Amino acid sequence: MKKLLIAGVCAFGLVAGSAVSAMAEWAPSGPMKMMIAFKAGGGADTQARMIAEALEERHGWKVIPENVTGKGGANLARALKNEPNNGSAFGIAITDTFGYGMVSAGDKAGFTQADFTPLTTTAGFQMGVVALTSKGWNSWDDLVAAAKGGQEIRFGAMSPKLADLAYLLGQNAGIDLNIVMVKGGKGVMNGLNAGDLDIGWGAGIQAKAVKAGDMVNLVSGISSKLVVSPDAPTMGELGIDFNSDGYFLFTAPAGLSQEARDAIASAIGDIVNDPSTKAGGFIAKAFGGPVTISGAELDKVMADAESSAGALMAASE
Amino acid sequence: MQRTNVIIGLVFVIVALAVALLLVPFDVETSYFEKHRRQLNVGDSLAPTLAAAFILFGGLLLIMERCANTHKQLSWANFRYLLLFLLIILFSLSLMRWTGPLVTGLLNLFTADDLEYRPLRDTTPWKHLGFFFGGGFLIASLISLVDGKMTIRAVSISVIAIFAMIAVYDLPFDDLLLPPNGDV
Amino acid sequence: MGVFDYIQLGLEAVFLGPEFFSLLGIPISITLAMVFFGFLTGIAVGSTPGLAGPMAMAIALPILISVFGFHPDALLPIFGFLIGIMKGATVGGAVPAILFNTPGTPDAYMTTLDGYPLAQKGKAKKALKLAHFSSVSGDTFSDVVLIICAPFLAILVERYLDLPEKTSLLILSFAFIAAVIGNSVGKGLISMGLGLLAAYVGTGEDIYPRLSFGTQELARGFPVVTAVLGVLILGEIFKSIEDLWREKKQNGQINVIEQSGDQNLHWADIKRYAPYIGRSAVIGTVIGALPGVGSTLAATLGYTAGRRQYQKNKNANDPNFGEGAPEGIAATEAANSSVSGANLIPVLSLGIPGNAAAVFLILAAESIGGFNPGPGVFKIPSSGVNTELVIAFGIFTTMFFANALNWTIGGYIMRSMGVMIRIPKHILLPIVLLLTLTAIYVEQTRMEAMWFAIGFGVLGYLMRRIGMSPLPFVIAFILGGRLEDTARQAFQATGGDYFFLFTSPVSFIFMLLALAVIVYTARHKKVQSE
Repeated sequence: MKKLLIAGVCAFGLVAGSAVSAMAEWAPSGPMKMMIAFKAGGGADTQARMIAEALEERHGWKVIPENVTGKGGANLARALKNEPNNGSAFGIAITDTFGYGMVSAGDKAGFTQADFTPLTTTAGFQMGVVALTSKGWNSWDDLVAAAKGGQEIRFGAMSPKLADLAYLLGQNAGIDLNIVMVKGGKGVMNGLNAGDLDIGWGAGIQAKAVKAGDMVNLVSGISSKLVVSPDAPTMGELGIDFNSDGYFLFTAPAGLSQEARDAIASAIGDIVNDPSTKAGGFIAKAFGGPVTISGAELDKVMADAESSAGALMAASE
Repeated sequence: MQRTNVIIGLVFVIVALAVALLLVPFDVETSYFEKHRRQLNVGDSLAPTLAAAFILFGGLLLIMERCANTHKQLSWANFRYLLLFLLIILFSLSLMRWTGPLVTGLLNLFTADDLEYRPLRDTTPWKHLGFFFGGGFLIASLISLVDGKMTIRAVSISVIAIFAMIAVYDLPFDDLLLPPNGDV
Repeated sequence: MGVFDYIQLGLEAVFLGPEFFSLLGIPISITLAMVFFGFLTGIAVGSTPGLAGPMAMAIALPILISVFGFHPDALLPIFGFLIGIMKGATVGGAVPAILFNTPGTPDAYMTTLDGYPLAQKGKAKKALKLAHFSSVSGDTFSDVVLIICAPFLAILVERYLDLPEKTSLLILSFAFIAAVIGNSVGKGLISMGLGLLAAYVGTGEDIYPRLSFGTQELARGFPVVTAVLGVLILGEIFKSIEDLWREKKQNGQINVIEQSGDQNLHWADIKRYAPYIGRSAVIGTVIGALPGVGSTLAATLGYTAGRRQYQKNKNANDPNFGEGAPEGIAATEAANSSVSGANLIPVLSLGIPGNAAAVFLILAAESIGGFNPGPGVFKIPSSGVNTELVIAFGIFTTMFFANALNWTIGGYIMRSMGVMIRIPKHILLPIVLLLTLTAIYVEQTRMEAMWFAIGFGVLGYLMRRIGMSPLPFVIAFILGGRLEDTARQAFQATGGDYFFLFTSPVSFIFMLLALAVIVYTARHKKVQSE
């Protein structure tokens, strides 16, 4: 995480340096439509709306948020690609929408990465395998032992990619998991609390409960350790070559001018990286801090997201 | 009266069968149950088919139900009214959608300006043009429909109502868009 | 934190929330102010024939969301306003019923039977006072029952029901709603099936949005507001405008009847009417707790029970029910008003709405986020705060604040609303039509949304014309996604067991009950009509 953060900050620095002049020149010709791929009221939606507010305050750009939810961001992608590419429309989804989500859908996706100009990421996911403390499992090994002892384990996942990773975790440990698809991180939390699920993926939403001792992270789903649970092993440490690294991503239709791309990306980056803004403060609290990758660096992240998806699908078939 | 229920029941039996046997197989990608990447799941076809089954069951019950009547009957007059009503709405919403772009287009014809509606959609008075004419037409024509004649009163009421709505929805809120300004 | 801490937090959230203004140095929170405004709006709307509480809720919702934003802090002020409307409209409905023989809301029809004759005898004011007293008593009683029952029901559900049982409980609720609403089980089932079908357009797990005909417009599914407002509100407007068009205009003459004699409601009166109010309050509350059974049925049952009792006890020269018996007003108004509180029992504990007002509360919660009506609301975590529970107690607080308003000033406001009848319906309805369309657009910002709503309006119109209740449609539309998700999860969680609905005894019993409700009602209604 730290490495990424540093990479992100460096990338941001480069872009910000070069974009100061561009920003002065570029301004949207009218109101900007900000499509949000997340349900109203959730953490991701709150983040986007706070950024919209700050863009308006700082730059006088009028930003009108609109929720375009469903299909893991694919609905947003399909709607956004047909919007004008002059900066009057952009959207926020996750990198997986254009990685695993798009690749696994094949021709049916209805969009490719070429349809978009990615702007910037805002934060990564503190993805972990979560369980209620009251279950009595303090580590992944405890859970594996329970499963081997004959207990049926229900594993909640909120995207097909996470379901694949969950499957790999089970396969690796030699246990059978009943993988249950749920809607969003909130769905996992509700399922755990209601006793409908035994474990599930949490993308950072669990941090508060983990700190309070109500929940425990058994595994870190990302390539680095989780901020709140440094003891939980990473997927790599368990011997699995895949992880759930991913980011919140602002993107615009293809063909956006370089000027506009830099201006919007750095305007968002500035806000996210400034902890004194509402958005910056919120991201620090809810998503473990900002990660702003943009420009060429972001292009690389997007390309990787696409290429790694195929490998994960093949491995978990 | 018994006959009406039988007809309604039959219509919905046909609707249900069409949904379950034609629409669902042709416009849903996954079947009732689906083996998707190593796991057996409920497919996308199951729920709509179940909905169709409820409609089918309801339709059959209605055919058999002995007079669950309400003295309500559809007549051709109802459909004529509905058609008239929908035409009024169609015209109003078209006015709403196109007045703004049309006016900018016309102005461009006569002046040297090169106006475009999209950037103007958040500026007074442009942003109110479509809503004013489309909405005004809707209210005035529906009042006149019941009155049986077009009156000045109907028109003035619609103008006042539109101004009131603009005052309620638009003036206090910076980020609300009146129709059609989210589309254009 | 214990229950009492949550009650305190709930009270604080309402009374000590952000300040709106201060009255004689006492800060008035924004939530309290919103309850007050909602209550005023509700009374006005309820006493205007042709308008109803849900219409005002529908139009107000997008405005409220813009004012308060998509944030959990917005929940209490917005719920406060909606609950204010709900309660205000309940008492308001009696005004034109008594004064002009025109029910302001459908459930006030029974009030006209004795209310108008009383007004003709020069006792309008007294009739209004009695209607108000009965209404508020019933309402308050119902709220108390809600607060006691909802948490326990929620905890029971959470503790004993697993995913398969939750699925079968939803199916049971659906069966019940389809069976009891309206006068035909067949039509109820069709209405419900259509609602489910509409909910399944564009959704699903596969990347291809099912039933969308490959179009981008349908790919995102029908927004909830378009279906709910279309079928419930636009359908009603389409129908009413046609009725007005056919009758041509009713003549605007309104007879004002000379009022005379003692108009006060005395302690002796209250003692005399109390048994009728009490019986009806219990009837209304029980009816209200069942999803889908509306306040109109409660009013009918309350009135009928009241009449039976009255025949036994009345003096020879007292007027009969239907000839101006004050007991008739008391029995009706207490029954139809006690539905509203109890109706929130299934809403808060299960997330299942039972009537139109509840539908809008769920809609508000869904649009704003941060509060998911359902069993999770009443969970008390070992550490930390369950903010949803604070909101729930906040909602209870707003209900009691609204009741307090109703007890103190409600009567005066209500009695001043006689003028609302003078607003011609044929002018009001087109304006409400445009307001509703605008409200939908403002939330969805695309023209398709208006067209969807109009399409659903046509559906609602046709349903009304063939005597099919639109309420099962709306409830099925709202719960359709949840039914599919829960079933899907139950199937996955049981490792792909095709018979997951029948393997546990509880679930099996729910499924049997669902079938029994349909069969029993179908036979019973058939016998009734023969």
